Amino acid sequence: MSDDLIALEEEEHTSPLTGAVFQRIVGLLRPHWKMVIGFLVTIACVSVMDSLFTYINKSMIDQGIMLKDVNALWRLATIYGVFQIIQAGLVFVFIYMAGVLGERVQYDLRKLMFEHLQELSLSYYSQNAVGRLMARVTSDSGRVADLITWGMLDTTWAIMNITTGTIFMMIINWRLGLIVLMALPILMIIAVEFRKRILIQFRLSRRANSKITGAHNENIQGVRIVKALGREDENLREFQELTDTMYNASYRAAWLSALFLPTVQIITAVALGSIVWYGGIQAHQGLLTIGGIHAFVSYLTFIMWPVQDIARVYAEMQHAIASAERIFKLVDTPPEVHNKPNAIDAQTLMGRIEFENVNFYYEDRKPVLQDFTLSVEPGEMIALVGPTGGGKSTIVNLLCRFYEPTEGLIRINGRDYTDYTLHSIHDKIGIVLQTPHLFSGSVRENIRYGRLNASDADVEDAAKLAGADEFIVKLEKGYEQNVGEGGNLLSVGQKQLISLARAVLAKPELFIMDEATSSVDTLTEALIQKGMEHLMAGRTSFVIAHRLSTIKRASRIVVIENGRIAEMGTHAELLHRQGHYYRLYTQQFKFQREQEYSVAAMVPLPAD
Amino acid sequence: MATLAPTQTTPPTYFDFRAALNANRLVGLWRMMTGFHWQYSGAVFSLAVSALAKTATFLLLRYFVDGVMTEAAVGGGLSAEASRNLMMIAGGFVLLSLFEGGFAFISGRLAAYTAESITRRLRNFLFDHIQRLSFSYHSTTPTGDLIERVTSDVDALRRFFSEQAIGVGRIILLFFINFIAILNLNWTLGWVSIIAIPPILVVSLWFFKKVTTAYEKYQEQEAALSTTLQENLTGVRVVKAFARQDYEKKKFEKVNWEKYLRGKILLLMHSLFWPLSDIVLGFQMLGGFIFAATMAIRGEITVGTYLAYVGLVVWLIWPIRNLGRLIVQTSTGMVSYGRLMEITKQAREPLTDGKVHPEAPVKGEVVFDNVSFMYSDGKTDVLKDISFTVHPGQSVALLGSTGSGKTSLVNLLPRFHEYTSGRILLDGIELKDYPREYLRRQMGIVEQEPFLFSRSIRENICYGVGHTVSQEELERAARAAAIHDMILTFPDGYNTVVGEKGVTLSGGQKQRVTIARTLLKNPRILILDDSTSSVDTETEAEIRQALYDLMQDRTTFIIAHRIQSVMNADLIVVLDKGEIIQMGTHEELLAQDGMYRKIYDIQTRVDDELAQEIQNSEV
Repeated sequence: MSDDLIALEEEEHTSPLTGAVFQRIVGLLRPHWKMVIGFLVTIACVSVMDSLFTYINKSMIDQGIMLKDVNALWRLATIYGVFQIIQAGLVFVFIYMAGVLGERVQYDLRKLMFEHLQELSLSYYSQNAVGRLMARVTSDSGRVADLITWGMLDTTWAIMNITTGTIFMMIINWRLGLIVLMALPILMIIAVEFRKRILIQFRLSRRANSKITGAHNENIQGVRIVKALGREDENLREFQELTDTMYNASYRAAWLSALFLPTVQIITAVALGSIVWYGGIQAHQGLLTIGGIHAFVSYLTFIMWPVQDIARVYAEMQHAIASAERIFKLVDTPPEVHNKPNAIDAQTLMGRIEFENVNFYYEDRKPVLQDFTLSVEPGEMIALVGPTGGGKSTIVNLLCRFYEPTEGLIRINGRDYTDYTLHSIHDKIGIVLQTPHLFSGSVRENIRYGRLNASDADVEDAAKLAGADEFIVKLEKGYEQNVGEGGNLLSVGQKQLISLARAVLAKPELFIMDEATSSVDTLTEALIQKGMEHLMAGRTSFVIAHRLSTIKRASRIVVIENGRIAEMGTHAELLHRQGHYYRLYTQQFKFQREQEYSVAAMVPLPAD
Repeated sequence: MATLAPTQTTPPTYFDFRAALNANRLVGLWRMMTGFHWQYSGAVFSLAVSALAKTATFLLLRYFVDGVMTEAAVGGGLSAEASRNLMMIAGGFVLLSLFEGGFAFISGRLAAYTAESITRRLRNFLFDHIQRLSFSYHSTTPTGDLIERVTSDVDALRRFFSEQAIGVGRIILLFFINFIAILNLNWTLGWVSIIAIPPILVVSLWFFKKVTTAYEKYQEQEAALSTTLQENLTGVRVVKAFARQDYEKKKFEKVNWEKYLRGKILLLMHSLFWPLSDIVLGFQMLGGFIFAATMAIRGEITVGTYLAYVGLVVWLIWPIRNLGRLIVQTSTGMVSYGRLMEITKQAREPLTDGKVHPEAPVKGEVVFDNVSFMYSDGKTDVLKDISFTVHPGQSVALLGSTGSGKTSLVNLLPRFHEYTSGRILLDGIELKDYPREYLRRQMGIVEQEPFLFSRSIRENICYGVGHTVSQEELERAARAAAIHDMILTFPDGYNTVVGEKGVTLSGGQKQRVTIARTLLKNPRILILDDSTSSVDTETEAEIRQALYDLMQDRTTFIIAHRIQSVMNADLIVVLDKGEIIQMGTHEELLAQDGMYRKIYDIQTRVDDELAQEIQNSEV
């Protein structure tokens, strides 16, 4: 819903066409220039053919009927028939070429953006909501593709029609031609004004529609509260305000559209009346034939209708250009974290990892991490504990080199880690996130994400080691079970187990885990603990820890508060100190144990 | 132009669409238009006038050519009469086009008025209807499905009324009016001109059905592309951490390319259908021209007739393919009607029905007398023979594990569900005799992690309170709920919007907003859900105090599974598998050897363990 609103907001932006943007838009067509030429030539031919049909009709009257020449009639009819077939061929070519080109440009743009998005750093993602990026790839690309195919086609067709129509009219009678040409600009202005107004109402109605969907959504999700508080009448009253807005905008858009065509028609009719009146006089003076008058009337509609196409393209063009600018801005953004020119591959991460006076700020200069220094020996397990927002996630993000320190250094094997290639670092990291992220597809595919060339047996072994095998085999289709969009057909605990298995399969040298805060059932919890234990054996690991068992297992505990290390040491040392850690631990201990026990106490059926 | 349609008086914004339920969908759709039949007929009538004006234009052209041009041409020179005639004809053309355009506009406006008005009241009705459906309907119907129906299907019906029904009518009217006009010009010519119509109509119907299917496939792929994209963007940390950029690119390439291919198929279908049918229709036109021209040469018809024919026949032939398209589309409207009526025919929860209609608030004595409850499938016993009594102002704690029936039990009180057997008495009167509306006014529910609406905090606190709340009153309630200070730290204070577009509240904060709301509502009976506890201990004491204050002088039901939250209750009911296994006060239950004591012992055990643990660490 909110994605929808974002897309709507952006749609309201317009941009004038500048040379630079125009060049880049045209540049999108360069690889497909044959298609472009192809459909532009065919649509121009279609337009010329259309005026020829009218001219043949005129000749049929003047040379066939008026002169009572049956032979001429049949000769013209044959030409008409042949032209009809050629015309059909042309129509086939332009629909297919313009359409396929539109699909192709959209495909190209989407590919370009997607591939660039893969290279962009995490900081870009934290500044741009997913909904916005989605709109960029899905709708902006479509709008640009439409402009440079159908928009260009309509414009070419319209210009050709107006030109050929005018030429033919001038040939038949130039005085009448001038009358028509005078009406043209008036029509153009009216058409553009109409289009703009219709577009505004249309957007208003879509905005209202989006709000209506939101209201429905909330009222259904919160129906228990609505009922409990007896707020039905008030809700309906509020909802009616939304539907009223929607009604007003849609109704206005609809009747403006209904008014548009008749207006064009009436202006055309005035021109037509003048032709009849003036043409009648001319005909009497032998300056105009009956067929000529008839052809004139046809050419009139011939050049009046394209005007509305130009108006439509013009009204939509400015929005499409704004879309194009947003697309170009995305693909022009350089990734913040990138390889240095002489970056080398890291051979191993199983060395000493040192944070040296690391400071980290986001753009707003609010310090997130200050003067952070920590040296970790290979094989150590570091538990990061402390309140939310203290900076634990930032440490992990820096370690993964999703971000780089604003000041200070991170060394791996004694070398600044920015000297290494990004890929060689990421390749050796295994990560399990707090809210596990799965992709649509089977359980097997999701585990294999950890190592793409792993055999089925490897996948299953990894699942066994992570403790995930037990529940997977119980699924209806086992490893082939579909996990649903984002894994939402599985429980949180199951998703965690799968993401553990995925990390196990990756055989990382450095393991990073952000433990989930939400509780899972005791059995799953035990399985997760076992899986983690296995993953940490013989590896350096960093865990943002919430569970007592995890914390106690750590070789060192680092308490982070307000972006600084508040305390550091082993479990025993820190408890002894009776400081921050002591408070955190006792509080967590009571909470967790009580929950474990009270749940456990209620499970067995009492004998009495 | 505002006077053209009856917009001066606001159209009715509410209509009970249960009156439009009918096994015959066409009858149903007709009934949906109740109150707008005249306007819609007006739209169709105006269409006919507009079409007639168009036809008349061509007949005037015929008169112009035959009566003025040829005659004058023969006479040589332009007589005064002919000149006047010419003026009148020119004027006639303008007048006719004013008629044509004017009535086309009236028709469009009336159709839009009808369609938009029907849609508005349909939206209002569905919104209201859905919020009044029973609790069990909501718990079994997925939100996504309902949303889909109230958005897409409503829009499909809007298009049915605004475009499709009227569009079909327009094409048929145009066809018959022009066909009759041509028949009047010349009988044979008329029949010759429509030879290709039936086959083209059949082919169009077939084609647009196929295209609809192909288009759905294309849209499916677009949805698949969106999903892939969204999963990639939200999972960016996973993608990066596993260095799977290339893999992701390939995955996206696959769906992107497949969408391109499906688009190509769709385009191929269109690029074959339109020119091929162009040929057929073009030759039909040409055949008619030759036939008519031959007749004109033979002198069987005049030149003017020929010209009129050429103009009229266009409106006979070319709109036929669109008729095919519109007819196929109306079937979507029919399907949507069916899908919406499935919701419409669900029975509402009667809010005001009841044998007693008390004015004053209840005192709050609740008696459960052998109450059992099972879901409508009739299989699972959720509650069995529950009996206990709570006096006004007392508190009763329900203790039990997940699935023991605690929540189902309290859901019976506001009559979200109806008990299957036994009796629940409130102040001595059976619950079923009270109107639901009254009962719910007497009760306040505070959930552990309540649902808040994406409106301002002020609106959330005042939501459903039922009377206007002054700022002073609001702040007093917020202070009592220990949330006032927190609210002041938000960017817009009480006007800060909750949710995606504003602040995200923690579970404890949401709960306190609900406590403030309940304080304002001031109900006699309170239902508290305290079944899980957050780690947020700093505020726990504050919440406890707020809850304690809230419970004063109210009959309170507490759902819990920790001893701490039930100790002070006047009555503790321990539930297991829908049955009461223990009941009494804290002291009484401690004296018994049962589950309650088992749970109680845990607390002491935890304290001992912690002491032990700390001692162990003293190396």
